[in-house]
Amino acid sequence: MNNDAVVEITDLRKEYSDSIALNGVSLTVRAGEAVAVMGPSGSGKSTLLNMIAGLDRPTSGSVVVHGTDLGALDETGLALFRRRGIGMIFQFFNLLDDLSALDNVALAAQLTGTPAGQARKRALELFGELGIENRKNIYPARLSGGERQRVAVARALMNRPALLLADEPTGALDSRSGEQVMDLLLDLNQIGQTLLLVTHDERLATRCASRVIEVVDGRIAREQSVERVS
Amino acid sequence: MSAVWTAAWAAVRRRVLQTIVIGIVVLASTATIVMALGLLESAAAPFDRAFATQQGAHLSAAFDPTKTSADQLKQAAGQTVSAGPFPQATVDTSASQVFLGTLTVAGRADPGGPVDRLTIWRGRWATAPGEIVLNRTPGGEGGNNLGFEISIPGRPKLTVVGFAHSVTGSADAWVTPDQVNALQPTALQMLYRFPDAGTAAKVAEGQKSVTTGIPEGALLGTLSHLTVKDKATSELGVFIPFLMIFGILGLVVAVLIVANVVSGAVVAGFRHIGMLKALGFTPGQVMAVYLVMISIPAVLGCVLGTVAGNFFAKPIVQDAVEGFGVTELSFAPWVNAVALLGMPALVVSAALVPALRARGLPAAQAISAGTTTHTGRALRIQRWLTTTPLPRSVSLGLGVPFARAGRSALTLASVVLGVMTVTLAAGLTMSVTAYDSAVRPSYDDRVEVLAGRPPGLPVMRTPEMGEPPNATLSDADDEKMLRSLPGTDAVLAVSQLETEVAGGTQNATIFFYRGDTGKLGPRVLTGHWPDGPGQVVAPSRFLNQRGLQVGDTITVQANENRTELKIVGVVLTNNEDEIFADWSALNVLAPGTRAHSYQVRFTSGTVRETFTAAIAKGDPGLRVMPPRDGSSSTGVIIVSASVTLTLVLGLVAALGVFNTVVLNARERRRDLGMLKSIGMTPRQVTVMLVTSMGVLGVLGGLAGVPLGVAAHQLVVPAMAHAAQSDAVDVLMQVYHAPALALLALAGVVIAVLGALVPARGAARLSIATVLHNE
Repeated sequence: MNNDAVVEITDLRKEYSDSIALNGVSLTVRAGEAVAVMGPSGSGKSTLLNMIAGLDRPTSGSVVVHGTDLGALDETGLALFRRRGIGMIFQFFNLLDDLSALDNVALAAQLTGTPAGQARKRALELFGELGIENRKNIYPARLSGGERQRVAVARALMNRPALLLADEPTGALDSRSGEQVMDLLLDLNQIGQTLLLVTHDERLATRCASRVIEVVDGRIAREQSVERVS
Repeated sequence: MSAVWTAAWAAVRRRVLQTIVIGIVVLASTATIVMALGLLESAAAPFDRAFATQQGAHLSAAFDPTKTSADQLKQAAGQTVSAGPFPQATVDTSASQVFLGTLTVAGRADPGGPVDRLTIWRGRWATAPGEIVLNRTPGGEGGNNLGFEISIPGRPKLTVVGFAHSVTGSADAWVTPDQVNALQPTALQMLYRFPDAGTAAKVAEGQKSVTTGIPEGALLGTLSHLTVKDKATSELGVFIPFLMIFGILGLVVAVLIVANVVSGAVVAGFRHIGMLKALGFTPGQVMAVYLVMISIPAVLGCVLGTVAGNFFAKPIVQDAVEGFGVTELSFAPWVNAVALLGMPALVVSAALVPALRARGLPAAQAISAGTTTHTGRALRIQRWLTTTPLPRSVSLGLGVPFARAGRSALTLASVVLGVMTVTLAAGLTMSVTAYDSAVRPSYDDRVEVLAGRPPGLPVMRTPEMGEPPNATLSDADDEKMLRSLPGTDAVLAVSQLETEVAGGTQNATIFFYRGDTGKLGPRVLTGHWPDGPGQVVAPSRFLNQRGLQVGDTITVQANENRTELKIVGVVLTNNEDEIFADWSALNVLAPGTRAHSYQVRFTSGTVRETFTAAIAKGDPGLRVMPPRDGSSSTGVIIVSASVTLTLVLGLVAALGVFNTVVLNARERRRDLGMLKSIGMTPRQVTVMLVTSMGVLGVLGGLAGVPLGVAAHQLVVPAMAHAAQSDAVDVLMQVYHAPALALLALAGVVIAVLGALVPARGAARLSIATVLHNE
C-alpha cells in the first residue's frame, strides 16, 4: 500500500438487482489531496462515495481508508470508523431539526464519548473559524442554505477526520452561498485536509480539486490533474 | 378504474408496512372489542341469557297426584306453554355412601321440550332404569366424575350417567319416567312459561290461569323464576363488576390505538397528499384517496378481527359465564354488528379529521408538512437534554416523544391503560389467591383426621379412604394420642351440628372447636373467638344475609335443644351457612357428643406419610383425609380470565407503541441516516428509539399503577358486596411496595416490547438510500 494513501480502492464493483453501479474501479487518494469525482447522473459517483464512507458495501473489490479495510468491518465497526475516520457533507445538509446549530455540531463529538461541555467548546471554536459563531443557538429551520452547509462542514470537521467527503456540497445552494462553501473547502484543503468531493459543478471541481476523476457507466473514464482556478 | 381507486391502491401497495400495521391493529382491536362487548353483554344479564337459552320455567308447580290427574293438569294449562306433568319423588341420600342431601328427582323422558330445556354438559341423559342425571352448575364445586352410585336401602341402585343444568332449578336430579315410579313419587311437576312474567303479580296471574279448575288442595307448592333469579344473581353476581371493568378497559384501549394508528398514518401521508394535489387531484379526490387507502386494511382487519374475536373470545367469556349455567354461548348479533360496522366507522372518523386538515392545505404546504413538527417546548426540552450527562443516544431518544405531542399522548394513554389492566389483574389475582388461601387453606402443614359420623349427618368418605372412620379410642384418648405423636405442633378437635336458626329460612351448621383454636381456627376479623358457652362467631356472609351484626343474639335449635348464642366476632370463612362456637356450647345443644374430626398441625420437617402412619397406628379407626386442593373454581375462572385479558390488552397496547415507533422512524428516516453517517451504531439507534418509548413506558407505569390500584379498590368491594361478603383486608390490602415497583415496570415492558422490533428495523436502515432520496 502506498504509505501516504488515505484512500486505496482496488477493482471495486457494485451490482444492484437490475444494474451495475460500479464496474472495476480502482483509485488512490493521497493525504492532502483534493479529488473531485464528476460524471453524469447515474454514472456511479455517489455509489463510489458511499463505498468510501462505509455507507454501502461493495459486491467485490476492496476499499481501504486510512489503513482500515472496510470490508472487514461489521455494522458497528463501520459506525465507529465513520465517527473518527471521516467527515461527511451532504447536498441537503442533513442537520437534525430539533437540535440547535451548536448542538448539531457537538453531537458528532459526543458520539465518540467526549463530554458535552468539551464538545460544545470544540464546536464553538469551529463556529468561530467558519464565521458562524453568531448562529450557534439558531435551529436549522431558521438558517440560510449557506449557513446550514457551514454548520454541516463544522460537524464533519468536529472529530478531525483524516478524510472529508462531500456529496454535491453546493448543489442545494444559491450561487453566493455556493461560492462561500467553495472557499471554505479550498481553505481546508490548503491547510492539509484531504478532500474527496462528488459534484456536477465544474466550477467547484476546478476551483477546489487538484485532481478530477470522471466516472461514466461505473468506470473511471478519465482522470486529470487540474490547475486550481482562484 | 377511477383515478381515486388507482391512486389509493398504489398507495396501499407502496406502503406495505403501514398497511400491515393498520390491518393488524384493527384486527387486534376488533377482536378486543368483540371480546369486550361480549363480556359486557354477558355480564349485563347472565341469568336472563341462560334463562332464555333454556326456555326456563316462569313457574314450577308441584301437585298432589292423589287429588288431581295428569289430564286435569294439561287441560288446566290450556294454551299456556307448559311441560309435564313429570312424576316427582323425594330421595334422602343420608344413608347412601355418597351423601347428596335430600334430592328432588323428576321423571323425564328427555331433556328438551317447550320449557326448561336442560343443558347436558357432561355424560348423557338417563335412558334406562338404574340411571340418574344430576343437576349441577357447569364448572361448579364438588366432584363431577360420572359413574358413581347412589344406593339407598329399599330403593333401586342409581348410577350417575350425566350432569345437566336447569336454570329454573326444576329438580335436583332426573331419571326415566319408568324409574321414577320405582322411587315412589309423591308429586306431579308442571313447568309453565307465561307471555308476561316480569313481576310477581304477573306470575301470580299466570299461576291463577293454569290452576283454574284444579281441585282445592292439589297444589302443593310453587317456585317463581323471580325467586330463582334473586338467588342466582346474588351468588354469581361476583363476576359482574369484574367482567364490566375488563370490558370497558378493552373498549377504551382499542379505540385509542385505532385513533393513534390511523391519524398517524394520515399525518405521515401529508406529503403524498400534497403531491396528488400538485398532479391535479381535487381536494375531495385527495381526501377520498386517503380514506380509501386507510379503509382497505381497516375493513380487512375488521372482518378478520370479528372472526378472531368470536373464535378466541368465546372460550374466555364462556369460562367467565359458565357459572351462570351458560354452556352454549353465542354473542348477540349486535356485538358482531357493532364490531363490523363500528370499527370501520371509527377508523374513517379517525382518518377524517387529519384528512380534512390536509384537504384544506395548499399543495406546497402539504408537501412540507410531512416532516416532523417542532414546537418551542419540544426544542427547549431537547436543548436541556443535550446538557445532561446522559449518553447521546439516550438523551436524543428522550426528546423524541415531545416532537409529536399528540401521538405521544395517545401512545401514553394506551400504555397507561395497559399498565392499569396489568395492575388490576395482578391485584385481583392476589386478592383471589389470598382469599382462597385464607378460607381454603391447602393444609400443607397439617392433616385432617376423621373419627366418625357427625350427629345427623352421613360420614364423609373419599375413595382413597377405604373403610369409613370408626374411632377405637375415646375422644379424650384420641386427642391425647394425637398430641403425643412426634412432630405434633397443635391439635383442634371438631364436631358439628345442623341447627335451625329461629326467625330465618336458612339453617346453619355450627362447628364446635376444642383445643388450639388460636393456631388452627378461622381468623377472627373483628371481635374475639368464643370463650364461653353462649357465644358464636360467624362469617360476614352469614351476618349480611340475615341482617345481623356483632353483639346480636341468635336462637338456634338442634333436635329438642334450643339455646341463645351471642355473636361475638366475625371470622374469615366463605360458607354463609357455617358458624363457629366453643366446645362448651356443644354440651348444651348435644351433650356427650364426641369430636368427629381433628386437625393436627405438624412441625416443620415432619414427613406427612410417616405422621399419617403414626396416627393409624395410634388409633386404627381414624382416617386421614387426602390433602385439600386450596383453589376454588370461581377463583380459577377469575385468575385465568384476568391473565388472558391482560395478555390481550397488553399486546394491543404494545401494538400501539409498535405503530408509534414505525411512524416516528419513518418520519425521521433522514435524521436516522444522518446519525448513522456520523457514527451512530445500530445498537445506539435501537437504544435511542427504544428509549423514546421507554420514557412513555415509565410515565405510563407511574400513572397506570395508581389507576389500577384505584380500579381494584372499586371492583373488589363491588365483587365482595355482590357475594354478600365484606371487602376484608386480605382482599383489599394486596399491593405492597415490591409488587407495586414490579407493576410499574409493566409500562416499560409494554413499551420496550412494542418498540424493539421497529427500532431494530430502523437501525438496519440503509443510510445511502435514505440520505440520497431527497
